[in-house]
Amino acid sequence: MELTPIRKRAALQPGKIRLNSPPSAAAEETPCTQKTIIGARDFTFYYGSKAGVENITMDIEVGSVTAIIGPSGCGKSTFLRSINRMNDLIPQTRTEGLLSVGGQDVYDKSTNLVNLRQQVGMVFQRPNPFAKSIYDNITYGPKLQGIRSKAKLNALVEKCLKDAALWDEVKDDLHKSALALSGGQQQRLCIARTLATKPRVVLMDEPCSALDPLATARIEDLIEELKGTYTIVIVTHNMQQAARVSKRTAFFCLGKLIEYGQTDKLFTNPQEKSTEDYITGRFG
Amino acid sequence: MQTQLRQALNHLFTLSCGASVVLLVAALLLFLIPMLKKGAVAVLFRGTVEFRKMQAEQFDRGNEEALQKEIEQTAQSRQEIYAILDQFSRGIDTEKLTDEVKGLYRDYGDELRYKDTPKEQYTKLRSQAKIIRNHLLDAFESIDKTEINEYLDAVKVFEKGNSFSGTTVEKMFAVADGFQKTIQHVDLSRRGEYAEELSVVKEELYNLFGPRPEEKTPQLAMRRFGATRWDVAQKHLSFLLWQEKWVRSDDGQSMVSRKVRRDDPQYGSFSGTSLLPLFTLVEETLDISLKPRFTFYWQYFIDDSTPGHYFGGVGPEVLGTLMLTMLAMCFAVGPGVLSAAYLVEYAGDNLIVKIIRICINTLAGVPSIVYGLFGMAFFVTYVTRHPGILSAAMTLALLVLPVIIRASEEAIRAVPQTYREAAMGLGAGKFRSFITVTLPAAGPGILTGIILSLGRAAGETAPILFAGAAALAPIPDFGGKWWLQETRALSYGCYDITVGDKLAMMVPHKQFGMVMTLVMLVLCLNIVAIFVRSRMSKKLRGA
Repeated sequence: MELTPIRKRAALQPGKIRLNSPPSAAAEETPCTQKTIIGARDFTFYYGSKAGVENITMDIEVGSVTAIIGPSGCGKSTFLRSINRMNDLIPQTRTEGLLSVGGQDVYDKSTNLVNLRQQVGMVFQRPNPFAKSIYDNITYGPKLQGIRSKAKLNALVEKCLKDAALWDEVKDDLHKSALALSGGQQQRLCIARTLATKPRVVLMDEPCSALDPLATARIEDLIEELKGTYTIVIVTHNMQQAARVSKRTAFFCLGKLIEYGQTDKLFTNPQEKSTEDYITGRFG
Repeated sequence: MQTQLRQALNHLFTLSCGASVVLLVAALLLFLIPMLKKGAVAVLFRGTVEFRKMQAEQFDRGNEEALQKEIEQTAQSRQEIYAILDQFSRGIDTEKLTDEVKGLYRDYGDELRYKDTPKEQYTKLRSQAKIIRNHLLDAFESIDKTEINEYLDAVKVFEKGNSFSGTTVEKMFAVADGFQKTIQHVDLSRRGEYAEELSVVKEELYNLFGPRPEEKTPQLAMRRFGATRWDVAQKHLSFLLWQEKWVRSDDGQSMVSRKVRRDDPQYGSFSGTSLLPLFTLVEETLDISLKPRFTFYWQYFIDDSTPGHYFGGVGPEVLGTLMLTMLAMCFAVGPGVLSAAYLVEYAGDNLIVKIIRICINTLAGVPSIVYGLFGMAFFVTYVTRHPGILSAAMTLALLVLPVIIRASEEAIRAVPQTYREAAMGLGAGKFRSFITVTLPAAGPGILTGIILSLGRAAGETAPILFAGAAALAPIPDFGGKWWLQETRALSYGCYDITVGDKLAMMVPHKQFGMVMTLVMLVLCLNIVAIFVRSRMSKKLRGA
């Protein structure tokens, strides 16, 4: 039931846009000194006739942590979910503009969804481990990739759990049900599960909103450790969190990208009025 | 004031909920206990010596020696009863007597020829025997006592002559003697009436004690044994003792129908005859003649029954029901779950899907007889071309399909979207995420649908009525095309016994036994399914 996006191909004159390079006007506004991995050009996402996000143009640099903040219903999650096409589950949606990951047009007909989603992993708002053992949860993705070797899988499980800082807690009962873990542990397991497919990008959709402060702190530490190896895009309602973990921050409001820049600059010296209002808590 | 009212309403709600649960349990017990009690009689009852004889002969069970001893013990009292019966029936059953005398006359002729009697003597003796025969036949036909005595006296003249001593003719004299004794007590004008009543008495005695020792074994298995159960014996005893008669009412004006004993001195058919002692004798010695003993007949559930439902168990019915149910489940579960998956995961929300959904809901409410007729008109006519297990199972599958689709649809829909998202986020396609994540999570819900339909498939009668159930079908031959053979089933057997009115009166243990077996079978199947489901949901909860 993949809906073919109706796209304004004509507007994007082929040849002029070269992905992975920042020649566009938008890119100049938010200067990219590093290599870009996710690039959006006038990207618009429609639910039926209503636009979820409108004319987003932004580049996300490789190996960095990018935070997306904004009031509820501003399109943060919609944009995030567009990156690995999780929005396909919702019927009657369409897109305009261009969104690319690693030089590959995400909404192109030829895009292999399985490859895309393995390259762009996702961690959800609520921990959602499968009702399987910890081991099976982590090997789910690799098995889909066709890895069958027991030794390889074992090594992978250990590595992912160590990367997700969960190994010490669960190493003795890997075959226990994942649902027996605490909420924070479950969320770290979900991150480990995502890492097991060796993604280039990890999308996090408010990963700490269902967790207590202690578990949140651990996840934030984890994000700190993971950056560099993975490109992380995190949607959050918590502005302190965004300030703590991210290098760059994007502020969305009413489906539009209002401001995008270095996190410290955006929080200390916002260019837009609405950004300042939001950050200082005057609305939202 | 308002809080008080609210509290009162809360209490009322709790109370009514509790009351309805109590009511439900009470109704269930009210319905189940008498049924199970009646059904339990099939397994736990007082079995007679005839039952043990049947078990030995039909199923090779029990101790042969002990059985023979028991049979000998019962023979004594039975013999006394038979003696009375024989003596009386000699006078009544004149046709039999006529045949006997004619036979004896023929035998005598053969005897004479065999001895190479000289011709003159032969002619003389033969003509004398013929006179005796004719006198006897005349005596049998007459209804006047003095006339009969004249004939019999004429016969006795020859007896004194001594020329027949040691020959077959002596037997004719014995018959004459017996006849003379009997007619002293018998109202010959009522001979026809006696004969009719006597045949009832004989039939009931047969039902009680089976064939007489000197008789040859009957061909039909159900005629080989008497009453195998004490309660059945009691029933036959009352048929033997009591008759319904029109008698004058106490005011002497009108006639009323009343149950009277056959040996009642005023109204009984046999009042004043030599048969009278038989009735009290049978009644008093019944436990000696049948030797009832408490029996736990657990083989009831696996035993075949002899042609008819009289003896044995419900083995073929249990087997047939299990086969039909399992086969129907095999046919229904796969398509049911797949179509539910299609409806939830693939089909959008358009008009056609809505129509399909309405159709499924309607089908779930269609009376089962409609499925039965469809099964006959389609599966039997076009698919299997023969009523049998396969067509019956397919009809049942069709019956439970909507139930399974609906339950599975709800279960699949109830799986949180986050599960699917997680699987898809890891790169699984629709099919993989359904098989590996959604289906296991929906498992308990789907099993609930299967449990519901299992009970329905096992218990339905109408769908298999025309499609492959038969009351007394043999056990399918698993070497051949067993799926084309008709089968017995508990539900159908129950129905068949109940509508076969006379049979139901005779084999209540079969009728209620089948109901009990069916309930227990469904219970067992459900317990297994519920066990599997609880294991499944436990795993899903992470315990």
